[in-house]
Amino acid sequence: MSSSTAPRGSIFSGIGYYLLALIATAFFAFPIVWMTLSSLKSDVDISAYPPKWIFSPTLESFRKLFTELNAMDALINSAFIVCLATLFAMIAGTLAAYGLARFDVKNKNFIAFEVLSIRMLPPMVSVIPLFIIAKQLGIFDTPWLLIAVYTLNGLPFVVWVMRVFIQEIPQSIEEAALIDGCSRFECFWRVTLPLLLPGLAATMVIIFMFAWNEFLLASILTSSEARTLPVIAASSIKAKAISWGLGSAAGVLMSLPVVVLVLLMQKYLVRGLTLGAVKG
Amino acid sequence: MTASLESLPIASDRAQRAGERYTGMVLLAPTMIIMTVVGLFPLLHSLYMSITGYRPADPDKFQGFVGLGNYADALTDAQFLHSILLTLLFTVLSVGLSLTLAILLALLFNLRLRGFTVLRTIIIVPMLITPIAVGITWRIMMMPDLGVLNYLLSLAGIPPQPWAGEKISAMASMVLVDVWQWTPFMFLIIFAGLSALPKSPFEAAAIDGASPVQTFFMVTLPMLKPVIVIASLLRIVDAIRTYDTVYIITRGGPDFATDLLSIYLARVNFRFFNLGYGAALSWLTLLIILAVVLIFVKYTGFMRMVNEKEAR
Repeated sequence: MSSSTAPRGSIFSGIGYYLLALIATAFFAFPIVWMTLSSLKSDVDISAYPPKWIFSPTLESFRKLFTELNAMDALINSAFIVCLATLFAMIAGTLAAYGLARFDVKNKNFIAFEVLSIRMLPPMVSVIPLFIIAKQLGIFDTPWLLIAVYTLNGLPFVVWVMRVFIQEIPQSIEEAALIDGCSRFECFWRVTLPLLLPGLAATMVIIFMFAWNEFLLASILTSSEARTLPVIAASSIKAKAISWGLGSAAGVLMSLPVVVLVLLMQKYLVRGLTLGAVKG
Repeated sequence: MTASLESLPIASDRAQRAGERYTGMVLLAPTMIIMTVVGLFPLLHSLYMSITGYRPADPDKFQGFVGLGNYADALTDAQFLHSILLTLLFTVLSVGLSLTLAILLALLFNLRLRGFTVLRTIIIVPMLITPIAVGITWRIMMMPDLGVLNYLLSLAGIPPQPWAGEKISAMASMVLVDVWQWTPFMFLIIFAGLSALPKSPFEAAAIDGASPVQTFFMVTLPMLKPVIVIASLLRIVDAIRTYDTVYIITRGGPDFATDLLSIYLARVNFRFFNLGYGAALSWLTLLIILAVVLIFVKYTGFMRMVNEKEAR
């Protein structure tokens, strides 16, 4: 289609397109580059004006992050909470998706849209009741509270994306296994599941990302023990002042895992982000 | 499944169907339990709180049942109405701009020149960055005196901007940050949609002598509509809930110029602990999101699209 929408062949228009693409890329890349540079600057270099482009890099800000802000605890909390929530959402959601895609369940569409509505819910509605209930149950400021909440938030993605992936596997494959004497469970475990692996991996990355980056719920449902990385990163900001190096280092530390993970799993990203609606 | 299973030599069809339904329910059970306990229950709790005067911070004030009093108060709460208007403005600007930018980028990158794949991968990175980190980074860059943005402007001979420091520019800055972070999301989806379009309509348009602009508005855009609608819908829902970046950069200021709904709600709930009233406000917010989504869905024929997809 490219040949029909844009005139090609002229060297000048080719250079023009490259220029536009480079400008766009620079606009989107610059803040990330700047964050990374700032995280590697010393306190003197960071507030220099005009801003320094060349400097001797130091890991001082990262060291402070671990000594002053307890980043290690937060990192462990984040990893534990997000991994478990992702795992639970994947298991529950995939089972539900299989049920919706392959079984004769009552009110199928109603259930599916009910699950989807979680995606629309403003966290502000349920965060106060969750806070109050958690206080009463004694699970406030424990990882389990956030695990439960993030599991819920992951469900709409898993159910909708996996339903599409399951529907795309021809039923005849499963039926053949059933006729060969597999039980329903064996049929799912041995035949369907292996075919679903790419879809599962893609969905997992997406819900991992959303849970890992979540701030509002984490900031209210934890106080000291279960604080996650975004919460301690936000604490590097005071109303009027901001510790530039610390903030940038926290930003790099928490963004890095998601960027690496998602860029490795780019293939099905679109499918996952649109809850299965658009093919990537 | 049942239709095809009927052809299998299994004893009773009715028992088979009942078994199917039972297994289906078992499979759905974990999801339904999580949704009820973690989702529905707090929601109902919040609905209940919204008809009380519950405010644990002032025990001498009336805490009991107030009926729809909180909702009535909300309708005359100038601060709340101000927040609604700001949020809608923010959403329209942010989603509109990032959609336009994303379509242009998708068209550009669909030329598929050498090296574009690498640039495309770099462009999607902003949507992966933790919003809190995005807020911190932009706040550092937007510092009026020492920030790198004003430095870059000075290189181009443009006078320094107040960024988050003045009312109108603060709102514009928040839109800029949102557009920066979420245009990649729109771009990724629209680019995927563009890549999947069939070739023949474009060939037909070329034979009919359509100009590139005509081709875009008469052929590309209508065919991209489903993808654009889905991407916009997801963005609208998230833009209305925007909290993290604004919390870090302006906290709703200066002088309430960026006091989006979620920021105002957080203040009512966590600063004033006026929880009954806060619950009523969050339910109204939920209704606003629902209304916006329904209007959008109706206007763009989204349900028709979903049904066609199901029918296929």
